[in-house]
Amino acid sequence: MSAVLEVKDLRTTFPLAGRRVPIVDGISFSVDAGQVLAIVGESGSGKSITALSVLRLVPKPGRIDGGRVLLDGKNLLEANIPAMRRVRGHDIAMIFQEPMTSLNPVVRVGAQVMEAVLLHERVSKAAARDRGLELFRRVGIPDPVARFDAYPHQLSGGLKQRVMIAMALVTRPRVLLADEPTTALDVTIQAQILELMRELQRDFRTAIVLITHDLGVVNELADEIAVMYAGRFVERGAREAVLSQPSHPYTQGLLASMPSRNEPGKPLYEIRGVVPGPDRWPPGCRFCDRCDEAIDVCRDTVPGPVQLEPGHVAWCHVVERARRGGAQ
Amino acid sequence: MSRPTRREETAAGAGVTEAGASAERGTEGAQAEDVLLRVRDLRTWFPIRKGLLRKVVGHVRAVDGVSFDVRAGQTLALVGESGCGKTTVGRSLLRLVPVAGGSVHFRGRDLLALPEQELRPVRRSLQMVFQDPMTSLNPRMRVRDLVAEGLQSFGIGANEAERTERVAEVLRRVRLSPDHMRRFPHEFSGGQRQRIGIARALAVEPELIICDEAVSALDVSIQAQVLNLLGELQADLGLAYLFITHDLSVVRYLAHEVAVMYLGQIVEHGPTEPLFALPKHPYTQGLLAAVPSADPSARRVAVRVLGDVPSPADPPPGCRFHTRCPERFEPCDKRMPEPYPVGDPAAGETAEGRYARCFLYEP
Repeated sequence: MSAVLEVKDLRTTFPLAGRRVPIVDGISFSVDAGQVLAIVGESGSGKSITALSVLRLVPKPGRIDGGRVLLDGKNLLEANIPAMRRVRGHDIAMIFQEPMTSLNPVVRVGAQVMEAVLLHERVSKAAARDRGLELFRRVGIPDPVARFDAYPHQLSGGLKQRVMIAMALVTRPRVLLADEPTTALDVTIQAQILELMRELQRDFRTAIVLITHDLGVVNELADEIAVMYAGRFVERGAREAVLSQPSHPYTQGLLASMPSRNEPGKPLYEIRGVVPGPDRWPPGCRFCDRCDEAIDVCRDTVPGPVQLEPGHVAWCHVVERARRGGAQ
Repeated sequence: MSRPTRREETAAGAGVTEAGASAERGTEGAQAEDVLLRVRDLRTWFPIRKGLLRKVVGHVRAVDGVSFDVRAGQTLALVGESGCGKTTVGRSLLRLVPVAGGSVHFRGRDLLALPEQELRPVRRSLQMVFQDPMTSLNPRMRVRDLVAEGLQSFGIGANEAERTERVAEVLRRVRLSPDHMRRFPHEFSGGQRQRIGIARALAVEPELIICDEAVSALDVSIQAQVLNLLGELQADLGLAYLFITHDLSVVRYLAHEVAVMYLGQIVEHGPTEPLFALPKHPYTQGLLAAVPSADPSARRVAVRVLGDVPSPADPPPGCRFHTRCPERFEPCDKRMPEPYPVGDPAAGETAEGRYARCFLYEP
């Protein structure tokens, strides 16, 4: 199977204290049709900027400074503006955590979906309406005809997210970037949206890049997981491998600090300190100041990828040393 | 035990009247065992006004007949999804919103019946920590003054130097450095700000802290630090928590008892482990089935609860959950279920303290 979307050595910088700091620093990944890649990280890891970089929607003064974003082998970073506009919404769609910020509050939701249809297809208004209603039904909006004429504020959070997904589906995009799509939703509604995303992945074979901080949601949807910390991936691999045999001390710490993976009442594992701001990133491994296992080399040398098994990679000096030790 | 000393301090320092203090002790003796907070049939309704004359046309029954106890040194979690009224319960206890009815007894005194000035010393014992410390901490105040504010208003500490000493002590307690005293809230990370919020509450030596989504905005690694801190404080100081949250994995981890809320009512209530192991109310069952787990062998959340929560301004008749309930049968849309005891003593479960507001368990 060939990748629909391939990102190679992506580098996105923001100015800080007189220099440009790479908030996304050499990220590479690829997604196949019908596959879900989850990029997991805490706030400030750069995961959302990674998604925005794919669509070349990085807010100013941010700027993509290097790498390639290949859609079917064509580099989007070299595409001209009209071509890029066709890609957005047509080939690659994006949904966000808070649907309210992406819906126009003074336009009825049905009209917004119709607008998306008319923008991409040469059809009559009546046909666009039919198509909009069909999409509303497809994403499980109850009583779609009545809801078609509602304004965004008249809908619950779960319904607004369904409307956003309906709009994202207008063109049957091959790639869906979903940035914390269920974070603002209640857990019973989240379960419904996760179910819907699974159906879409299956029925439309959409390639999904899921951006989230929630390892539970990741476990529900992902085929592959990339753990991001301070602008870089620290571990990447198949869902089962990363969740059952986490290798990077950061991934291990994240999982160990989850209340659901601990016995009630027993102290939780704590990753000490806080995520450092980009102005305080150590020159070597960016996690070294918070890592219980850090050794001298971690401070000044950037760790390279260590393959643990096919497809499972960790960027960590300690892991590398342990493997070399084991091999000897 | 430091608690008796502290109570004397309250009476002396905060200027509780003789009568008030002795009445408190009197009822305390009569009050059953270790119940710190006893809430009965609490109702908080917000009026819906319409038209030019702002006529009241109805009420949002945000909290509608809620009863529970919080025991000294224990944690009760009030859990539910948005709009269930859990936050309004917390605010009602401190009378931060007008309460329509019911009673809230703290150490035997009915907070809803007390005049405002007698409520003040009680507020010292009953502190609150909010979700976003950034909105609850005055951005123009330094940490020292933020933490000392309560000390000042309750007259704790003889002078500024003593209060500063106390602030330093509390900061160390929440694992912040006393060097942080001169800084402003924006100079701290989210987790550190939540510690400042906890330090503020802790400074006046409360017996009960109401934590309203206190760890919900934090990243998981930071959340673990704050949860461990709350656990330590409970073990060391015998604090009780009313933990208001939507996060079920946090509830299972830290609560002794759980009350599950839906549309203004508690639908299930009981000790944490049995409730999580064998939820009885169809809503609790659906809620627990919907929580995604990070265990790679346990995938696939179940969608058992369909649709959306109805508006609390127009709750469905009968059982409030019947519109979304997979188990509904004929009485559900006609009558309102009561909290019935659940749990099978024959199966080794104790029925004691477990209730579900569901006709499946009607005797």
